[in-house]
Amino acid sequence: MRITPLEYVTADNLSQAVELLDSAGPQAAVLAGGTDLVLNLKKKRACPCILVSLQAIDGIDRICLENGMIRIGAMATHDRLARHPLLREKADILCQAAGLIGSWQIRNAGTIGGNICNASPAGDALPPLLALDAAFVTAGTVGETVISARNFFTGPGQTRLPSGHLLKEIRFPCPPANAAGCYMKLRRRKAVDISIAGVAFQAALNEEGTQVASAGIALGGVAPTPVRVPGAEDLITGRSPKEALENARAIGAACVAAASPIDDLRASADYKRTIVNVFAQRCARHVLTTLKEKGKPQ
Amino acid sequence: MTLPPLHIIVNGEDHHLMVPANRILLDLIREDLALTGTKEGCGLGKCGACTVLLDGRPVHACLLLAHQADGCRVDTIEGLADPAGTTLHPIQEAFVEKGAIQCGFCTPGMINTAKALLDENPTPTEDDIKLAIAGNLCRCTGYHKIVDAVSACACGSGKGECHG
Ligand SMILES: Cc1cc2nc3c(=O)[nH]c(=O)nc-3n(C[C@H](O)[C@H](O)[C@H](O)COP(=O)(O)OP(=O)(O)OC[C@H]3O[C@@H](n4cnc5c(N)ncnc54)[C@H](O)[C@@H]3O)c2cc1C
Ligand code: FES
Ligand code: FES
Repeated sequence: MRITPLEYVTADNLSQAVELLDSAGPQAAVLAGGTDLVLNLKKKRACPCILVSLQAIDGIDRICLENGMIRIGAMATHDRLARHPLLREKADILCQAAGLIGSWQIRNAGTIGGNICNASPAGDALPPLLALDAAFVTAGTVGETVISARNFFTGPGQTRLPSGHLLKEIRFPCPPANAAGCYMKLRRRKAVDISIAGVAFQAALNEEGTQVASAGIALGGVAPTPVRVPGAEDLITGRSPKEALENARAIGAACVAAASPIDDLRASADYKRTIVNVFAQRCARHVLTTLKEKGKPQ
Repeated sequence: MTLPPLHIIVNGEDHHLMVPANRILLDLIREDLALTGTKEGCGLGKCGACTVLLDGRPVHACLLLAHQADGCRVDTIEGLADPAGTTLHPIQEAFVEKGAIQCGFCTPGMINTAKALLDENPTPTEDDIKLAIAGNLCRCTGYHKIVDAVSACACGSGKGECHG
């Protein structure tokens, strides 16, 4: 499998990268880890004339906490995300998802920015990012835009990334200490397999530790884009974890109602609905039980 | 725009090469550098036969453009045994001793992944080993002997030197 000849530029900095993208127009493609793009080049599914590699841009893979916001550079690899101490402590749901992607080799090369911009409905980082209320910072020649994860995806492989822009950073409010999250994905084998269906479930208690103050529930692989399920979130917020747990079945049903899966090679639509139901309930039990423990007066 | 020469350090040796942008790292290693120990199985990132270490981390050489490795260390199976070619690396010894090699096609990739694992975690559990090599397919051995071989290389396993 050979690749058609093309040009390749390693951008030294962000402004050079966006200028190159701007001048080359739709002929250009951003190259991150290449785990999707190089495969697509090999299979002739993508045929850009010029690749703009972001690899050498200083700081574009930074992961930090600033003014209550967690900021993740687009070029951070899945392996780094999966092991990052700050994320493990504050947003473990993202570590769980990153750790389930592909194989160690894929996680060492693949980036969160690539996962987002590739916009596969089954992209594993996407449901957790929706559940965490993330926003994406994009950069172009005329400046930056911020687009919420919820509004970013418009269809399989389709996003609202403005033309000539690149994704620079992912941001979300740092979850409080009394939060918990869980990501579950179904696949046919234990590794190197994209998800058939995925459920992300993030929730946090109020300061008193008595009630669920916020919840984010999102599904992957069962609609043209990842989807949030406000109907399931409403069954949790404003209730004690114990009360919310009693709604587990209704949460499963609300998630099924929000899914619009199709029959495909991996599984039937019916089976995907069953899995969404089961995983949503398992996630709910796991997260709400953890919150119940955290809410207990010490 | 002319592409600057590619600088990579393969098995400790500096190379400055004029490489077209569409060259895959695996082809550069096998064809331009004639290091055919690195294998091509699927060419799709699914089998791990092409695993090399990029700055110490296992990656699929079949899914990287050569220029993505610019400025990096690339370690292939050829660099593992001592340079005189007289003694194998302890991981290689263990694979031979435990019968972890049958046809041998997966072995270079498997050993590279194992090397990276042992370098970062000299005392991996069986589960750590299975997770690390999950992206390296073997159609012959059934994996048990591979896991045995990697376990035998762990620090404190009482075998040979400890390479952590
Ligand atoms: C064997 C195998 C297994 C896989 N398993 C999984 C899995 O389990 N779960 C999963 O979710 N994915 C999986 N993938 C898909 C892939 O690894 C991920 O989507 C990965 O995150 C892509 O990141 P990348 O850095 O390699 O992106 P690239 O391939 O470099 O880019 C992907 C796309 O996004 C664009 N892009 C990348 N970065 C930016 C940016 N910063 N700004 C603008 N555009 C950008 C590129 O132009 C390209 O169109 C797998 C892939 C393979 C080959
Ligand atoms: S040849 Fe690279 S993963 Fe199969
Ligand atoms: S020994 Fe034949 S594939 Fe592993």
